[in-house]
Amino acid sequence: MSQIVLEGRDLKKSFGPTVALAGVDFVVHRGEAVAIMGPSGSGKSTLLHCLAGIMRPDSGEVHLLGQRIDTLGERKRSALRRTRFGFVFQFGQLLPELPADENVALPLMLGDVPRAQAVQQARSWFGPLGLAGMEGRRPGELSGGQAQRVAIARALATRPAVVFADEPTGALDQATGHDTMRLLVDATRRNDASLVVVTHDPEVARWCDRVVEVRDGRILTGPPHTGYVTPAGLPNAGYATTVAPSYTGHVPAPQVPQESPRGWRPEAGER
Amino acid sequence: MSNLLRLTWRLLKGGGRQGLLGSSLTIVAVAVSTALLLFAVAVNFAFAGRADRGAWRHPVPAKGEARAVEALHIDFLGDRPITVVDVAVLEPGVAPPRGLSRLPMPGEVAISPALAGEPALRGRYPGKIVGTIGDEGLVHPGELVAVVGHAPGDAAVSAKWKGDYRLGQSATKVADFTGAPSSDAVAYRFLAIIASVFMVVPLLVFGGAAARLTVARRDRRLASLRLVGATPGQVVAMTVAEAVITAFAGAVLGLALYAVAIPPLTQVEITGGTWFTSDMWPGVLPIAAVLLAVPLLVGLSAVVGLRRVVVSPLGVARRETPPGMRFIRVVVLLAILAVVPAMGMGVSVGVVAVVLGSAFLALNLVGPWVVGVIGRVTARTARGPARLLAGRRLVDDPRSAWRTVSGVALTGFVAGFIGLLTPPTDLDVGSDKATAWLLQDIRTGTVVVLAVSFLVAIVSSGITAASSVLDRRQTYALLRLAGTDLAVLDKARRLETLIPLVVMGGGSIATGMFCAAPFARLGVSAAGALTLLICVAAGFAGVIAAGALSRPLLRSVTTDPAPRPD
Repeated sequence: MSQIVLEGRDLKKSFGPTVALAGVDFVVHRGEAVAIMGPSGSGKSTLLHCLAGIMRPDSGEVHLLGQRIDTLGERKRSALRRTRFGFVFQFGQLLPELPADENVALPLMLGDVPRAQAVQQARSWFGPLGLAGMEGRRPGELSGGQAQRVAIARALATRPAVVFADEPTGALDQATGHDTMRLLVDATRRNDASLVVVTHDPEVARWCDRVVEVRDGRILTGPPHTGYVTPAGLPNAGYATTVAPSYTGHVPAPQVPQESPRGWRPEAGER
Repeated sequence: MSNLLRLTWRLLKGGGRQGLLGSSLTIVAVAVSTALLLFAVAVNFAFAGRADRGAWRHPVPAKGEARAVEALHIDFLGDRPITVVDVAVLEPGVAPPRGLSRLPMPGEVAISPALAGEPALRGRYPGKIVGTIGDEGLVHPGELVAVVGHAPGDAAVSAKWKGDYRLGQSATKVADFTGAPSSDAVAYRFLAIIASVFMVVPLLVFGGAAARLTVARRDRRLASLRLVGATPGQVVAMTVAEAVITAFAGAVLGLALYAVAIPPLTQVEITGGTWFTSDMWPGVLPIAAVLLAVPLLVGLSAVVGLRRVVVSPLGVARRETPPGMRFIRVVVLLAILAVVPAMGMGVSVGVVAVVLGSAFLALNLVGPWVVGVIGRVTARTARGPARLLAGRRLVDDPRSAWRTVSGVALTGFVAGFIGLLTPPTDLDVGSDKATAWLLQDIRTGTVVVLAVSFLVAIVSSGITAASSVLDRRQTYALLRLAGTDLAVLDKARRLETLIPLVVMGGGSIATGMFCAAPFARLGVSAAGALTLLICVAAGFAGVIAAGALSRPLLRSVTTDPAPRPD
């Protein structure tokens, strides 16, 4: 098995009397896409928040590339989220007042990349993600699917080790949702990042390599699900294997397929 | 209709903690505005009251048959003035002036309670004391007044006054003791009107801002109502109802605030005296008018803010670049300023008040336009994320950014205007006591007006800062979640206020000085420059402090990691 990127061990978390996580073990390997499924209130979002350092578990440990992160202070966890993780949510993650390219450039600028360079790098994502010509548009002027693709670009812009997606297609119609998932899975994998998707939609989960079911704060054990298979032979960009926010400003060009997005719609049999 | 009201009430009550916080902010904002508005109104009634109560001392020559002779002069006890009115009755039966039950005959005097209680003055006005002057005949509490009775041929009631025109009036034959307000009293009423304009315009702006404080949230909710089929009329009615209910609560609270503030306010000395409590109470009708007008204005302002929702249910769901504001706003300001050099001491108070008020309102009109321009420049030249966020935010919603700084910027106008008019403290007036008073009063008035303006400005910027955090909590929470430091968000927020503050504050001060130029006879004084400097420092410090106060709120809205659609 390839290298473990992110690991949660015996995670427990309660909100007052409500137990959200009752001892969860969770592992994500390098380049792997894992779906966390479960009904509302099952604890899947809490699991994501604990893994991503947004929330501290009551007990248990979270390790990123072998280094424990749940004990870090808020400032260090913030820096970690900014540099090692990327986020895609259902809606609202783009700043309405910034044009699309600056939305993508923002995390780079927060990492002290000079503005011109950050915007230039941000723009290099637009073509491959089928967003050519949308650079100057504001989120309100984008369709739901386009906005999600901008969010994907933003999540990947800092070369994260792991991308977390919480119901990334929740606000989209089915066809757009499929397109978005395919882009998310492909772009993440091609950039050698791992992907953790929280969803209640089996159609979304099928895009991932593995599905983990959460019920009442526990992981259900079942037959492993194998979903979407990466097209072989495409180059990976590689990422730094340190946990420390070591962002230096230089980011290699994004690695996504160079065909138009329509060109890489998967065959029916692939799903 | 009653269903609609019930739904509005439910929405108001059911707004949750954040909704409650939003409504409370509006109530506090309206309360402060109302209290200060009542003060601005009361000031005029107070000066009018003083003018009326003192009118009897200023004789008006009889047109027909004369029934008495009246003369006036001011004596001094140290620096304290003593008003001495000499009277002689020509025809028995003439009605006594207000505050007196009868006129003193030759050899008799009537004195004010304060004079009776002053041992140093015992015997200065000889004669039998036949009465005490009541409050209705006194300009201010503690005033020293003596009414001395004479025979018609006495020197005191036949000589011409040769001293300073402000310190006496020649003996005059009068038909009665109604009199007329003194020219000083008229001048003070003029100054009071100007001061009111200075206080009311920022209050109106602030009141309007209060109505739109939480408009982002309300807009979204009402857009949802439009989507489920509420008619534009129903949406408008609900908005008005909600705004008016909240504003009325705020106005009543404001009245209570003002009532509490009356005792300290009566202690402010103008023309050497304090005030009666009744001076500061403008009366039932004006108060009722304020309590009615404030909620109506707030309701009106809310409707204006809602135009976009009413036009389209999707109006606020999609955030697009707002249409640019037109340059015509600047032209309006320039047109008004073009009139200013034509003004001078000769122009009537009405014209001056209108021009000043218009210049003030035009500044408010130009504000958002300038903020938009500043935003574009800031965004274009930004290197770091905080400056970029601040600049884009200014471009996105210049009106809201302007609301945060408008108070202080408009106060800059007042400070600039007054700074140029403030008399130097070392102006040599020698023994000219009347001039010394006037200068002292102008200084006192300046301090009061500036204190009020700054109070409005700082409260308004604090409240708008807090409400802007509430309105944008989802954005902030998501930024925090993606690893943005609180410090970056705070810096962006600070820049978003400071950049327009510096530009607009400076612009307003310059405009204020320009408007004051036609009236500036004394030149720029050190005292004026100092006043201006203190104002600028206090304003900036106040706005920054008020903004910093909402930092815990920012922290609290960003600690909840789960983004919710709201």
